[in-house]
Amino acid sequence: MYKYYYILLLSVLYVSCFPINKTSNEINIYSQRHYSVDEIQYKNFEKLTGIKVNVVKANADELIERLKNEGKNTPADLFITVDAGKLFKAKELSLLQKVSTPEIKENVNDEFEDKNGYWVPITYRARIIVHSNDRVNPSELSTYEDLANSKWKDRLLVRSSSNAYNEALMSSIVANLGSDSAEAWSLGLVNNFVRDPKGSDRDQVKAIAAGQGDVAIVNSYYIGLLLSSEKEEELKAGNAVSVFFPNQEEGGRGSHINVSGIGLTKYSPNKENAIKLIEYLTGEEAQRVYVNNSYEYPVNPNVEPADIVKNWGKFKSDNLDLNLLGKYREEAILIFDKTGWK
Amino acid sequence: MEIIKNYFIVENKRWIIVSLLIAFFLLLPIVILFIKLFSDPGKNFFYLWNTVLIDYTFNTFYLILITSLFTLLFGLFPAWIISNYRFIGRNFYDLVLFLPLAIPSYIMGFTYIDILSFTGPIQSFLRNNFPWLASYFNIDYLQIETLGVLLGLALYPYVYTAARVAFSLLGSNYIDLSKSLGLSTIKSFYKIILPLSRPAIFSGLFLVFMEVLNEYGAVKYFGINTYTTGIFKAWFSLGDIGTAIQLSCLLLLVVFFFFVLEKISSSKTNFFYETNSPVQKLLYVNKDKLFLFHLVCSIPFILGFFIPLIFIVNNVFQTYSSIDFVRLFTLSFNTIFVSSLSSFIIIIVALFFLFIEKISKTKINTIISHLISLGYAIPGAVIGLGLIMLFSNIIDSFFSVSLIGSFYVLIYAYVIRFLAVGKSPIKSSLEKHPESYDDTGKNLGLGPFKLLQKIHLPINKFALISAFILTFIDIMKELPITLILRPFNFDTLATQTYEFAIEEMLPLSSAYSLSIIIIGSMLLLFLKNVINKQLNVS
Repeated sequence: MYKYYYILLLSVLYVSCFPINKTSNEINIYSQRHYSVDEIQYKNFEKLTGIKVNVVKANADELIERLKNEGKNTPADLFITVDAGKLFKAKELSLLQKVSTPEIKENVNDEFEDKNGYWVPITYRARIIVHSNDRVNPSELSTYEDLANSKWKDRLLVRSSSNAYNEALMSSIVANLGSDSAEAWSLGLVNNFVRDPKGSDRDQVKAIAAGQGDVAIVNSYYIGLLLSSEKEEELKAGNAVSVFFPNQEEGGRGSHINVSGIGLTKYSPNKENAIKLIEYLTGEEAQRVYVNNSYEYPVNPNVEPADIVKNWGKFKSDNLDLNLLGKYREEAILIFDKTGWK
Repeated sequence: MEIIKNYFIVENKRWIIVSLLIAFFLLLPIVILFIKLFSDPGKNFFYLWNTVLIDYTFNTFYLILITSLFTLLFGLFPAWIISNYRFIGRNFYDLVLFLPLAIPSYIMGFTYIDILSFTGPIQSFLRNNFPWLASYFNIDYLQIETLGVLLGLALYPYVYTAARVAFSLLGSNYIDLSKSLGLSTIKSFYKIILPLSRPAIFSGLFLVFMEVLNEYGAVKYFGINTYTTGIFKAWFSLGDIGTAIQLSCLLLLVVFFFFVLEKISSSKTNFFYETNSPVQKLLYVNKDKLFLFHLVCSIPFILGFFIPLIFIVNNVFQTYSSIDFVRLFTLSFNTIFVSSLSSFIIIIVALFFLFIEKISKTKINTIISHLISLGYAIPGAVIGLGLIMLFSNIIDSFFSVSLIGSFYVLIYAYVIRFLAVGKSPIKSSLEKHPESYDDTGKNLGLGPFKLLQKIHLPINKFALISAFILTFIDIMKELPITLILRPFNFDTLATQTYEFAIEEMLPLSSAYSLSIIIIGSMLLLFLKNVINKQLNVS
């Protein structure tokens, strides 16, 4: 008698473990972004179109590995990252297909578009310098290159080199200045570190507020998050520092930026729906939601950044082909290891 | 007699074949990794060796050293005091000293750094009230030593639990004997008790080693590069899976070495707990020692559980308006569902293998039983990778459906990774029971299945419950495997906590981390109850 119970129990478990059955009206996303703003966007999209959005969130490289191994059987339609370099890598591994529609073209500022047409940017952020209001005069600051100057000895803070934002920054330096200069720059920076690289971007800002260092390299939106914090002490920390956009001088190349972007997978099973979502996310309504929740910059020219971000003023961004951030990635990592940037 | 013997051999054969089959599936991902190792040798091994690997390895050993020291400090002394002395508060400590196990180590790390940071409560308070004192506390807390202490706080329950059971089961004979031979309490602790309990304590420490080797979230946040960082660096940053696998295999060898060392050392002290020796009488404490005892017992609890809990609860109140209760409920359900199902399977598999090992007495089963525990030493993400390769390259060509992203694969990975956790309590319980039980059973004509059902299940009931709870808690806290192998839209409390924490929105993660702590604590308190019963029974 018990046997039948066991069989019943096992079959229930067996069925319940299968992946939820596919309906045609859905999109499957592999995403590196895990901000709560994304959930809002997908929910809005679902309400608007009735298309269900399914997401798996993990590290970009792990997702690439999963895509690569799944090959033609992949359930994923879209691959979203916070780094153009990873999109480039996915394209190089032939995991993506070209994507372009008139609406996407119209939504996205030409400046940020992929030259090869394999991915679409949805937001961008700058990797900038923040400095102490008390101990640093903004006139002392100029470029990323200048941070290697010995006047910043024991004053510079930055997180560890394994972080993707630093990898992208170093790749941009290699692309712009060549690997020998990049190596010299890295060595200069390492000499100026006040402590071993560690913590998050926000921790670097806190360390300036705590007087442990004077300047730090961080992503723009973390300052936005800090300034919108409900904790009084965090607000104070945010107000103890100012934002400086490097490389703005006459003829300078501009501050390093990177995009969050979407790629359409090569074997996407729900291609039409997927393109609809790309169009929606680059559209004005969704761009406004991004801007006001995560303090990133919009790629849609008709949308303005959030007020906190606007207060820092307009800046010139480095118009380097962002695919190079992927191309020079390995070289950047070798330089980190060689020069001892932990 | 001869007939009975033959009957058993034939009967066991079937069991042994089944066990080999299951072991094959458990070892398959590891085998795939090894095949890959020889077919696609890494190019960057010597590059890493020349640049960063020595540094990473040193960091790993240093971190293990500090963590072990503090787990021993926080674990051994309270265990000794509670096992031997009677004083007011003893029952309370006995109940709560386990609880830090419910707090994932990355939450411990993130929380403490937030508490200690420049904008945290301590420094803010000092700045506003004792400005002259504040500057002494304004230091960089993101140090390897800090992490070692914090991991010590998160992991000491492994040592505490092992030592507590060992000290209680020793019985009073040894202590009485050492006293009558004129040894002081301290001397008898070092000369008699510690050596006798060494295998148990070492098995606790072994779990601590494994946890530190596998630590992922907190280590990254502290900017400390450990050996595991090297594996990820090779795999992700350099895109060189070959080298990543080489490094993982090297790690396996090191663990295997520890493992053998432990086996050799514990086989020298072949010792069985004397169940007949009278249960230890608890001693009364004189007043001058009482304060010290309270201090020793309360510090691990206060630092390892109470302070982080208060901080997290405070964050929950502050973010109360933005808590999404439907989501919280869904994620709690997800977590409980996947953890309990996986733990259940793990317990069955573990019991199965240990039982076969017990009845078959062939070398091969002992070896297999050790081999399948190795999964615990492999970083979760590497197991995930092995399974992705297995299911996409091999299984796929037969069935052409993708199983990746189904609960099967996720649970499969958990079983491989956490089998060792479920095995260890069952194993020590099985070992305590004399062989004569089996022989009696056999003589009464019980086949292996009946033997298991009628004798071993009932007498090891408590161990099975402990094993279930310990694996449940480990799976509930698990990150890397869940992140990479989970189905669409499947979040657990751990993944949600981690995502908020890593995006530097710690307060928002508090509702989810609190749920982890509550579920874990309830189970641990239940476990404590079970262990107490077990101590009374035996």
